[in-house]
Amino acid sequence: MNRLDRPVALLSRGIARVTATALGPYQTAVIRIGFSATWLLFLLRELPNRHELYGPDGPWDWDMAQQLIAGNHAFTALMWSDSRLWFETVYALAMLSSVLLMLGWRTRTMSVLFMVGVLSLQNRSIFMGDGGDNVIHLMSVYLVLTRCGQVWSLDARRLRRAQAARAREEAHASEEARARGELSGVGERGPLRGEGRDRIGPVLWWVLGLALSVVTFMGELRWGWLLIFWGLWAVQGLWWAVGRRAPGGEPRLLLDIVANLVHNAALFVIMAEACLIYATAGWYKIQGSRWQDGTAVYYPLQLDSFSPWPALSDALAAHGILVMLMTYGTVAIQVAFPFTLFNRRLKNVLLAAMICEHAVIAVVLGLPFFSLAMITADAVFLPTSFLRRVGRWAARARGGLFSLGRGPRGERRMPGQRRGEEPDPEGAEHARVGFTT
Amino acid sequence: MDAYDEGSSARAARPDTPSSAAAQPAPAEAEPPPLPFQAEPPFQAQPPPPQALPARRAGIAALSFRYQIVAALALGTVALAACAHLAMVFLHVAPSNTVTKQHGQAIDDWIYPEFEQNWKLFAPNPLQQNISVQARAEVRTADGAVRRTGWYDLSAQDGAAIDGNLLPSHTQQNELRRAWDFYVSSHDAENRPAGLRGDLSERYIRRIVLLRLDRENAGGRGAVIERVQVRSRTANVAPPEWSDEKIDTRPVFRELPWWPVTPDDVPLARDVKAEVDAR
Repeated sequence: MNRLDRPVALLSRGIARVTATALGPYQTAVIRIGFSATWLLFLLRELPNRHELYGPDGPWDWDMAQQLIAGNHAFTALMWSDSRLWFETVYALAMLSSVLLMLGWRTRTMSVLFMVGVLSLQNRSIFMGDGGDNVIHLMSVYLVLTRCGQVWSLDARRLRRAQAARAREEAHASEEARARGELSGVGERGPLRGEGRDRIGPVLWWVLGLALSVVTFMGELRWGWLLIFWGLWAVQGLWWAVGRRAPGGEPRLLLDIVANLVHNAALFVIMAEACLIYATAGWYKIQGSRWQDGTAVYYPLQLDSFSPWPALSDALAAHGILVMLMTYGTVAIQVAFPFTLFNRRLKNVLLAAMICEHAVIAVVLGLPFFSLAMITADAVFLPTSFLRRVGRWAARARGGLFSLGRGPRGERRMPGQRRGEEPDPEGAEHARVGFTT
Repeated sequence: MDAYDEGSSARAARPDTPSSAAAQPAPAEAEPPPLPFQAEPPFQAQPPPPQALPARRAGIAALSFRYQIVAALALGTVALAACAHLAMVFLHVAPSNTVTKQHGQAIDDWIYPEFEQNWKLFAPNPLQQNISVQARAEVRTADGAVRRTGWYDLSAQDGAAIDGNLLPSHTQQNELRRAWDFYVSSHDAENRPAGLRGDLSERYIRRIVLLRLDRENAGGRGAVIERVQVRSRTANVAPPEWSDEKIDTRPVFRELPWWPVTPDDVPLARDVKAEVDAR
């Protein structure tokens, strides 16, 4: 019997964890920022070429896309109309939703719009994409299911301010009550004031509901997508209504648990997807004769489409042993990576190696957006302690910038206050998230 | 591992202490407006903490029995969905095997179109040939004469555009290359199209070629392109210096038939093209 106790205890602890918390808040935030930034930079880069890539009268014109999509039923809003205005609108909205998702403004809604933007453009011209687009495509779908705005987002800031305001109000109220000698009533609280005051959320919800109705009546969406979009919309409404009526009640708690479950599952899928990418890339390479004889790295550098620096390619091509080390190293790292997740130290070493390799690929093979997308996918495995340190640096740099530019900001925090917040349990709690989720 | 974890988070906490308290003369000013890290710990994002929750219990344990059943059902569904999805993706990227031979259709139904993926990056072998797509045109000049242009090496133009470029565009790196792959995969060796994809790929190549030739002012100003011809030039990459392999690097050509075209076939409206070409 004792032998069974341990696994059972472990299981119940695990269930408690995945229901009570949305794991990896920093990891999901960093991939949210990374993928939306990659897509935004790509859209900015291709701004002058947007018509040629995705426009209604580009080489892959609207009719041709229509014929192909009639067969594969991919989702793209660009097929709803062949007008130039609609195309420009969708492109602009794709950029806007990327910016807002990056900043974490109404994160959940923006993640849906971000996905709509990514799928609309990529599915419109599937022959324009490469591996980088493929990664962003998948991750934009998975991101919708995560609570990726818990930290490093405007949403988090808004929540924090609302809580601070409420705390002040309560302190004030309890002081008054004490002054009047009433001790009862202190514990009773109305709905969250911060949420109660929120006007933008409901407006956004109604506007999107209206837009969705229009799309529904146009009959452009297949029932599967209709179900998904209306479902997401309904859940948002439900969340708001339940949180308003009984913020501490059981229905709200249940919603929270379901949201955590979905988040944790999506995070797991994202991590597994990253592992599948490396495993596939690695294991298929092992079968190739060029990866076996140690010359594989030489060849892409000789291809016109992947050699922005011919001199560099030639210099590398002159060093057979170096090429062989890089060839074998690439395969070893890719094949080994998924297994190193079970050892934190080893995982971090390999992670650093892979991030460096992708940075090199960005420049040497001329694949910046592919590399940025892959580095972002890698970042989901970064340790929480490291991410928090980076966050502190970024915040300090930003603080420095602001104080240079226009003096101290209105909102201040006392050092003692901040320190008090620092040793929150999440560091210890989430440090192992890299491989336990 | 646990000990290590604690160590790392302890280390992480340390650098912050001196900087926020002592090192900065005016901490309140340098203190960044509340961004990231001090954002509510994830726990706070969870059940609104101060409300009347049963003390020290969170997650499923904090619910009453009825709600626990719902939560347990959700747990089961979500776990099942995640595992099923991962299994499908795994089978999609794995080599053909016993399961995919029997249930290939079910896997495809799940994966396509939105979860399609291919991670055979430079695998099993990297491409060892430079394939360039070239095109020439038959034009009617302003004075009514018919003239045939020389071959334009469109892939070489793309290659030149990528040289020294930190941010190559998809129009330079993917457009023509992938269009040609699409054409080759949807045509047989006699250039007979296979179904809709074959027709589409032909039209696609033709429009890309026309766009490029039009930009080049093929045949001179005022000339109207009446027919185009496309060919591919495939040459093996020479083996590295240190290798003793002997590989024939002489190019092989694949020539497609002449295609009649009209000015309407040229992609991009005039104003867009003017804007694009002006850059």
